[in-house]
Amino acid sequence: MSDSYLNERSAKDWKKSHKHGAGEWLAERGTSLILLPLTLWAVWSGYQLAGQGVDAALAFAKTPLNAGLIAAIFVVSGWHMFMGLKVIVDDYIGKDGTRGFLNLLNLLFCLAVTGAALYALFLLVRS
Amino acid sequence: MTQSPTPPKAAYRPLSPHLQIWRFHMTMFASIVHRITGVATIAGLLMGVAWLWALALGPQAYTCFLTCASSPLGLVVWMGVSLAGFIHLTGGIRHLIWDLGYMFEPKKADTLAAITFWGAIILTVILWVALFSTGKVQVML
Repeated sequence: MSDSYLNERSAKDWKKSHKHGAGEWLAERGTSLILLPLTLWAVWSGYQLAGQGVDAALAFAKTPLNAGLIAAIFVVSGWHMFMGLKVIVDDYIGKDGTRGFLNLLNLLFCLAVTGAALYALFLLVRS
Repeated sequence: MTQSPTPPKAAYRPLSPHLQIWRFHMTMFASIVHRITGVATIAGLLMGVAWLWALALGPQAYTCFLTCASSPLGLVVWMGVSLAGFIHLTGGIRHLIWDLGYMFEPKKADTLAAITFWGAIILTVILWVALFSTGKVQVML
């Protein structure tokens, strides 16, 4: 047993994963499962609205069910996007500080995208 | 019992091998493409945000959005996003199948990866053939 990296600190780090690792794994699969029907619905809706003007699009987005699904797709996509980008950062960025910084930027970006979508939806539903 | 002379202070965290290290094989290609298409699909999400803002800001903004979206460049971007999105979507189904423990043997995994790629291409072609043949989308030059 002379593996130099088997020190107390790394052992503690490994033990963390049994508390939150499964949660991340499940969140990745859960958001994927939810996004399957949601994105197919979005493609179908885009197909229906293609070639039509602002009135059709407004009527579509103001329908409560559609507005709810639009909100859901942006919330779940934002979460899914954060986890996907985080995995890429975690895989390729070795330096702790840089990794943390990039993941903070990632979080802010995903929150901004989702927030911008929800705010626009809120404005147009009220108009 | 030998002790490392200078034990590393930080925890040992292995990095993923970089792209150029891999010898080509189907599931490695599928994995890389899954990541690339996932990132590319972000463009689609941003276009969705732009659509919502154009709707919220009123008819003039929406006309501007439609002009951009239906321009030749806009159509190329929509096509790219739809292809990337479908590849990521069918790739997601592939991963869910693997997670359930099915088709994980190397040969079956290769077959499944090929099926999901072809499925994505077929879905994209069907979408755009339908959009053009129904006249919903026209190329304005």
